[in-house]
Amino acid sequence: MQTEFRPNRILDALGLYCPEPVFRTRVELDRMAVGEVLEVFADDPAAEEDIKSLVRRTGNDVLRLKKDGSVLQFLIRKVR
Amino acid sequence: MKVRKLSEEKNILYVQTSGVDTPERTYAPFILATTAVAMGLDATIYFVIKGVSVVKRGEAEKIKLGDFPSLKEIMDQAVKAGVKLEVCEQSCMLLGLGRGDFVEDAKVVGAATLNDRLLDADAVMCF
Repeated sequence: MQTEFRPNRILDALGLYCPEPVFRTRVELDRMAVGEVLEVFADDPAAEEDIKSLVRRTGNDVLRLKKDGSVLQFLIRKVR
Repeated sequence: MKVRKLSEEKNILYVQTSGVDTPERTYAPFILATTAVAMGLDATIYFVIKGVSVVKRGEAEKIKLGDFPSLKEIMDQAVKAGVKLEVCEQSCMLLGLGRGDFVEDAKVVGAATLNDRLLDADAVMCF
């Protein structure tokens, strides 16, 4: 059974290219409290690995990554 | 917090910055990476700046130097062996090349991923 996570914040990075989706994800995470969830939409193909790398390096968690055509939908939990 | 490595194998990252205008610089990363896999290592080639031209569809077929097979054959051999190909698509915009249209084995990744690979690699070599 999959747990549903309700995002506290939503970032629309559609149409933006590397490294903008990563920069903006970082800015949003910095504004959030520990435990909150960020939802990110992006369609730059580079964003898939890049956002995963950012989240891993900053010690946070990708809860879910869904792909709908070229659109990536991340759910990220701020852990620290 | 110590960041966990993605792979427990030793891994080498080859960074390809030279393009098809210097064909003599395009063979070595594929040959070295294929050899690395044979040695039990993980190997990734990251194509950036002019290096992206090497993985543009149709370009490797045009390169054949000396008695070597075509670059396409060398590339296919590397992929078959398990070498990972990663591309900085933004380099296309830098060079005025169209976005995309890469060989199907190449994965588009960006700046954060290259930084990550550099930190994780046990060795890095640039061509």
